[in-house]
Amino acid sequence: MRPLDPRLLRYAAAARTFIGMGVVLGIVRTASTLAFCVLLSQAIVGAIGGRSLGELAPGILALAGVGIVRAGAIWAMDVASARGAATVKSQLRRRLVAGITRLGPGWLGTRNRVDVVTTAGPALDALDGYFSLFLPQIVLTAIATPLVIVTIFLQDVLSGILVVVALPLIPVFMILIGLATQAVQRRQWSVLAQLSSRFLDVVGGLATLKIFGRQHRQTARIATLTEDYRVETMKVLRLSFLSGFALELIGSLSVALVAVSVGLRLVDGSLALSVGLFVLLLAPEAFLPLRQVGANYHAAADGVAAAEDVFDILDAAMAVTAEAPATRGGTGSLVERELRFSEVSVRYEGRAAVDRFSAVIRPGRLTVLAGPSGSGKSSLLAALLGFVPSDGTIEIGDAVLVADRRSLTAWAGQGAPLLEGTISSNVSLGDAAPDLALVRRALDLAALAEVDPGIAVTVTGSGLSGGQGERVVAARAMYRALARHCPVVAFDEPSAALDRRAEAELLRGLRQLADAGYTVLVVSHRPAVIAAADDLIELGVVHV
Amino acid sequence: MSDLRTRADSPTAAVLRLAQPPVRRFAPGVFFGLVSALSSVGLLATSAWLITRAAEQPPILFLGAAIVGVRAFALLRAASRYVERLSSHDAAFRQLSALRIGIYRRLVPLAPDGLRGDAGGPGRGDLLTRLVSDVDELQNLPLRVVQPLVVTVLTAVLSVIGVSIVLPSAGVTLAVALVLAFVAAAVVQSAIAGRAERSIAPLRGVLSDRLLDYVSNLDVLVAYDAVPERMTRVEAADTGVRVATLARAGGAGATSAILSALATLASVAALLVGIPALGHGLQGPALTVIALVPLAIFEVVASAPLAVGAFRQVRSSAARVADATPAELPAELPEPGSGVDRRPTSSMVEMLGLGARWPGETAPAFDGLDLRVNRGDRIVIEGASGSGKTTLAHVLVRFLDYSGSYRIGGVEARELSADAVRGIVGLCEQSPYLFDEDIRQNLLFAHDTVTDDELLAVLARVGLAEWTRERGGLSARVGDDGALVSGGQAQRLALARALLADFPVIVFDEPTANVDPVRASELMRDILSVASDPHGEDSRTVIVISHTPVPDELVTQRVRLGAPALP
Repeated sequence: MRPLDPRLLRYAAAARTFIGMGVVLGIVRTASTLAFCVLLSQAIVGAIGGRSLGELAPGILALAGVGIVRAGAIWAMDVASARGAATVKSQLRRRLVAGITRLGPGWLGTRNRVDVVTTAGPALDALDGYFSLFLPQIVLTAIATPLVIVTIFLQDVLSGILVVVALPLIPVFMILIGLATQAVQRRQWSVLAQLSSRFLDVVGGLATLKIFGRQHRQTARIATLTEDYRVETMKVLRLSFLSGFALELIGSLSVALVAVSVGLRLVDGSLALSVGLFVLLLAPEAFLPLRQVGANYHAAADGVAAAEDVFDILDAAMAVTAEAPATRGGTGSLVERELRFSEVSVRYEGRAAVDRFSAVIRPGRLTVLAGPSGSGKSSLLAALLGFVPSDGTIEIGDAVLVADRRSLTAWAGQGAPLLEGTISSNVSLGDAAPDLALVRRALDLAALAEVDPGIAVTVTGSGLSGGQGERVVAARAMYRALARHCPVVAFDEPSAALDRRAEAELLRGLRQLADAGYTVLVVSHRPAVIAAADDLIELGVVHV
Repeated sequence: MSDLRTRADSPTAAVLRLAQPPVRRFAPGVFFGLVSALSSVGLLATSAWLITRAAEQPPILFLGAAIVGVRAFALLRAASRYVERLSSHDAAFRQLSALRIGIYRRLVPLAPDGLRGDAGGPGRGDLLTRLVSDVDELQNLPLRVVQPLVVTVLTAVLSVIGVSIVLPSAGVTLAVALVLAFVAAAVVQSAIAGRAERSIAPLRGVLSDRLLDYVSNLDVLVAYDAVPERMTRVEAADTGVRVATLARAGGAGATSAILSALATLASVAALLVGIPALGHGLQGPALTVIALVPLAIFEVVASAPLAVGAFRQVRSSAARVADATPAELPAELPEPGSGVDRRPTSSMVEMLGLGARWPGETAPAFDGLDLRVNRGDRIVIEGASGSGKTTLAHVLVRFLDYSGSYRIGGVEARELSADAVRGIVGLCEQSPYLFDEDIRQNLLFAHDTVTDDELLAVLARVGLAEWTRERGGLSARVGDDGALVSGGQAQRLALARALLADFPVIVFDEPTANVDPVRASELMRDILSVASDPHGEDSRTVIVISHTPVPDELVTQRVRLGAPALP
């Protein structure tokens, strides 16, 4: 992990502001720490020297004031961290959403969508730790440590030398112990990962264990695997806690050495008490920021690892060239066009899902694309819409560009969830001025005459059955086809969850579209759909 | 403070108690933690004394003890901290075993139908994943909550006593400052965190819902030119979170700032009471000690607010665990330990006016089912989704209690122990669970005395001979949650288990639900013929619950499970 990833500064401008604030507050904080140590040691030395509380009062009052200023600087730094983290996360999240959009559905198809959402949500929140614990300490290390060391040198060279010798030991030990821990962790990683998931496995399979009467034996098993987990984890911890040990030891031993060396020189009178006390108070401050960096390294590394995923997506998005914009939209009236596939191949990771497929889908007809699962039916639709890269050409009339094909196509995906909103807003999706009469007509065509378009769809559902949801998706494509006069209407398994009667009704709607001159393409393996086809294309399983 | 309290008799407290190691295991960690904390106070105190005393230029002999003390405290602080961390982690891990077993014992009678999730919340798989990670989170109770709090409080008390011996009035001012620090840690920290959680968490929920909505539907949005419109919604949710977080940013770090200010003020107060006492019983070195020591003590006390924050997290994990695993069983589950452990003499199954209800529901899932199943029958129970098919399957293996009558071999099922019922009636679940082990282990637990050859023979019977060979035999892993196994293969493995366990009655719950339609009819045919084994000498009873059609020649009887209202 790099302490400060340049990509963070590049992708999130707010990070720069935050670091600027950090520098200013770091200077205030260091200055108040220096003043605090001076004032405290002088008050003590003054009192021992016989001065009264009244004489020392101004200094003590200033001491309290400096303490308050330092507390204020600490607070301001934390507030700045919280604000910085919130702003940076927001900037990164927006860029991420834009980046994902640019990468497109084809890229998303190769990812776990929940992971992607996690990256944009909770994973980004891990940056909080980086901002509140790590980055301020890095900035403080850069500012406070040199200032404190110079001050110590100016006061007492010998103590300065002690600190300067001890300080580099912190990163050296951190790195050495970190490497050793990593090696052990790598060796044990698979053992630990397995052991930690075993309990979940027992709990997950509990119903199955009960069926076979084996639930009573599991307590001994849980005890054993948890004990193994403890033994293996402790092996790693014995090593990884050494880094904390080294941090503490170097910090406290150097303070002890400074104290003893100062004490011995005070005895022979070669050093003044004011200097000795001041150096004693200041010495720990030289180590503090670097110790904090070390102690919070792992928390920060987690946050940065999360940001790493974000940066990877953003970098990938930067590398993608934006697709050519559409040169034509839906026309004022429907123009019949045929859909031609010529030698179209689609490959996923080298495996051909579709191999040199050619076909002409004609307007005014209901064409069914059938074949067993895995024969590439959905891939062909994805290629038509440009969601996956494909070889060969796909044309609608004379339109070849992806963006043009998209604007001439109304598509209903398979098992697509509904969007938050109402049934009506789902059907008229993408239409800035929805035509409610047309929504009604599309719902009727999709065999949803009984459904109220005003029903709300929320994350938890809509109260619609799976089959009704499927027909809303079909109605959405019909609305687009009717509203924009898209000549091609493509449906992917539109009746998978429908009973026979609903399926027959939906087929009547599809027939009406074909009769109106639309090029209707339906992917399905349902016998009733195949029976209704004007043209049937059967895909076989592609063998590599 | 009310925010932090957890009633001692609440279900959450019962779960928390499971996580706390017994005193004898917990004590070493506290002891070494205390030694480490006192050493860092001692290091500063002896250093301060050493330097001030040295300035009085006494014979060096008088400083010997202090010099040794400074070095010893420095070493002791680091070394005892290391031992503390090891022993407290070791104790927490040892407790994890008891904790997991305790939770497991609560789960056993509940699983699978009594586990409670939020309505409309995650599915069962997610529920269990969250439960297990919550259980692991509970380890932080001893590690990050109790241990630091105990060590901090003891250090504070002992330091106050120590300072009081030097100068009682300085002890009082230090005590006041420390009490204020603990109040700040508990009240301020807790109030700020609570307010932030309340105001920001719902907005985060909205953001993550909209993100999921956007990402899951990106293809649709692109195809329908609806990207800008929906992106605006995501950005609005993002703005909501950002604005709320910025508004709450003032709370961040308030506690550490208060602690830092209190540390200074404690030193200042020590000077104010110490300087007038100088020469009246208080020596110079002692003044330095009481003025400097608060700085070291407050460094130790700084872990208190973190412990309070950790407690909030641990407590909400414990609350979720307690919620998901209610100690009191829902009325819809069979009472554990009821019935006798006796194997019925015959496997004839009779249902009369049988009905059942899902936990938490008011209406029965199905009702009034009359059915008599003789040995060797192949029954298909059909019904639309929502007609109570899975409920029936779970009643038959006593995962759920019932109304009406359910007799096995003439004995009312309720009079038998659940294990005795399950000795007769086996279930192949809709999504059979595959353990993250090899094929052998996934079969052996059904019957652990069979040889590899017998296992291979059973796999061949269920049509998995080729599949097993391709994977490299019985030692091949089936992967996390059986991820690498298709729905049909999982059903066949479940059938193999049921055959090995030799259940006289096997119930199949929607065996073709996760199988593609082309392969579904083949699977159904195989299941019915293999399971019942009509050519074998002891023919088995098969009950298939399904909404997909089953060919007539495989079936001896069909039953339709209707909506409860229908006759």
